[in-house]
Amino acid sequence: MDWSTVLDIILKFVAITIAFTVVLLIVAYTVLAERRVLALIQGRLGPNRVGYGGALQPFADLLKFILKEDIVPDKSTRFIYFLAPVIATMAALMTMIVYPFGPETSIPFIGTIPLSIARFDVALLYVLGVTSVGVYGLALAGWSSNNKYSLMGGLRSSAQMISYELALGLSLIGVIMLAGTLDLQKIVEMQSAWHGFRWIIFLQPLGFIIYLIAAIAETNRVPFDLPEAETELVAGFHTEYSAMKFALFFLAEYINMFTVSMLATTLFLGGWNVPFAEDIFGRGTFLFGLVSVLGFLLKVIFFLFLYIWLRGTLPRFRFDQLMNFGWKFLLPVALLNIFLTATLLILYMSYSGSR
Amino acid sequence: MLVLLFILFAGLAIGCAIALVAQRNPLYSAISLIGVFISLACLYVMLAAPFIAAVQVIVYAGAIMVLVVFVIMLLNVEQEERRRSRLGFLVPAAVVLAAVLVAEAAFIIWFVDKSHATPTQNISDTGLTSSIGSALFTKYLLPFEITSILLLMAIVGAMTLARRIKEIPAGAAVVPGAQVLPLHMFDRSVPLSDTRGVEAYGTEEVAEVLDLPDDHDLTKRD
Amino acid sequence: MVPQLSWYLALSAVLFTIGVVGVIIKRNIIAMFMCIELMLNAVNLTFVAFSSFFQDVTGQLFVFIVMTVAAAEAAVGLGIIIAIFRNRESLDVDDASILKF
Repeated sequence: MDWSTVLDIILKFVAITIAFTVVLLIVAYTVLAERRVLALIQGRLGPNRVGYGGALQPFADLLKFILKEDIVPDKSTRFIYFLAPVIATMAALMTMIVYPFGPETSIPFIGTIPLSIARFDVALLYVLGVTSVGVYGLALAGWSSNNKYSLMGGLRSSAQMISYELALGLSLIGVIMLAGTLDLQKIVEMQSAWHGFRWIIFLQPLGFIIYLIAAIAETNRVPFDLPEAETELVAGFHTEYSAMKFALFFLAEYINMFTVSMLATTLFLGGWNVPFAEDIFGRGTFLFGLVSVLGFLLKVIFFLFLYIWLRGTLPRFRFDQLMNFGWKFLLPVALLNIFLTATLLILYMSYSGSR
Repeated sequence: MLVLLFILFAGLAIGCAIALVAQRNPLYSAISLIGVFISLACLYVMLAAPFIAAVQVIVYAGAIMVLVVFVIMLLNVEQEERRRSRLGFLVPAAVVLAAVLVAEAAFIIWFVDKSHATPTQNISDTGLTSSIGSALFTKYLLPFEITSILLLMAIVGAMTLARRIKEIPAGAAVVPGAQVLPLHMFDRSVPLSDTRGVEAYGTEEVAEVLDLPDDHDLTKRD
Repeated sequence: MVPQLSWYLALSAVLFTIGVVGVIIKRNIIAMFMCIELMLNAVNLTFVAFSSFFQDVTGQLFVFIVMTVAAAEAAVGLGIIIAIFRNRESLDVDDASILKF
């Protein structure tokens, strides 16, 4: 092995560490933001005692989770009981590596680096595959707790997730047809046209709405959160989990929210493209990279705010209404979207000779 | 470096496969099989077939095994008990014959390997999504269309096997999972003290069985 | 040194053999079904290895079709298993011997 390979590997480790730290911090503050924004919607104050305006609350929560007593139910299957939160968190974190946080920038003293951890051609399929594996965390958690309410909650959660995964995948096919590639970096670069304004949401509004609904159902959030709502099944599949394992499930749910928002930003809202930034700063400079990364984070935070807003506003679906909606309405509409996109694309290509 | 990765993933695959066969609890077998699928997907990536690797994880590990795990959980399958083996003299005979087979296979592999007739792996375009897609829709269009008909047959078959019969025979015992709803809920002329029940899997089914108009709206309670 | 084609073929043969042993030994019908899936995957590995070493896309297309067929077979097979379980309350194949003389 020569030195350039070793340097590459070290750089990748540094990139992964930075990305994970940033993501975990953002997710921790999303929990705090959710509590405060929900409080604002509901007309009260959220946690604001720890630190200025509650800014140290996530660390207080972390301390509480670490020091809490870890209760393991007696008749549970030990191996699967410990494996389930690990699978859920791993699947949530593994999707992080393919998103482009910014364009190729030249950082002083290091050179030109692309601002994403890994790049391969089937990035979008990889994301879909890893979210498919994340279903096991819920199903195994529900089963291994040896509690019939947990089992029902786990099975309902998994059934909901696999039903809406189909609509999610189908809504992305319109985007793939427009972009002609599964590579997320190329999709973002394709959206740099029209002074950074050629976002796919303008070309695929129906696909975006389907994706949003399917994504909210995938992450088990309101209005689709029956399997884990407190008034329904105690706490669903994570009833019997305490302390650090519950913290892992909690973290996995919020990281899922975050990754789904990042996917929506990358595919539909143009990723790191800030309109007119290329004309002002010039491609490849450090300031352009910085502005692009900030633009990306702003778009993701907008999606997270949308999630929290929906949680404070909408009531939840009943489970059979949820399944009916997913199979009988959303799936045909997604297929209709593919059909329409394909027809319009063929007409446009035959008229103008290119994509 | 590639050799190390190959040994890692191959060892993982073989280990999980042996665990699949040796475990008696079917849920542990299912988890070992998921391990086999994921290590095979990593091997496909090493063989420069990223599309097949992603499809393997999505279809096998993410859909088929979820179905198997659901069935295991719903049917509450318990562990196999060990039974006394009645094979007797067959076991040493099997071991000897298996050793002969393995020796033959190893000889063939070693012989072909040494003769330098085997190809080497070059970097090429096969394995990218675009080449699979173009082959699938031009040269192999007929298998593709026949496969879609096969999937339709599978859907119809699975739905037929899982369907429940709607008529309730007279004097039937209550089937686990069915709801027994009071007759008053559907026919308001029947007094509330009438304890007859109708058994079905939902209010729409009951309305069909009893031949009543289904304007039953659960959101209006009276 | 890079992994040769014969290594992949040997690995595939070992996985296939473990699958055959599993189908013969196991008595639980779901475990037998999983061993059949293991055999299908071993064959998939052979196809992909050949496709990669001979730079022909036909192998990977065949794997695609095999995966589809396996998915269809899983759906129908598990439906049959559920129907058997409903009638007989046991998943042991040795108990399903009514047709025996």
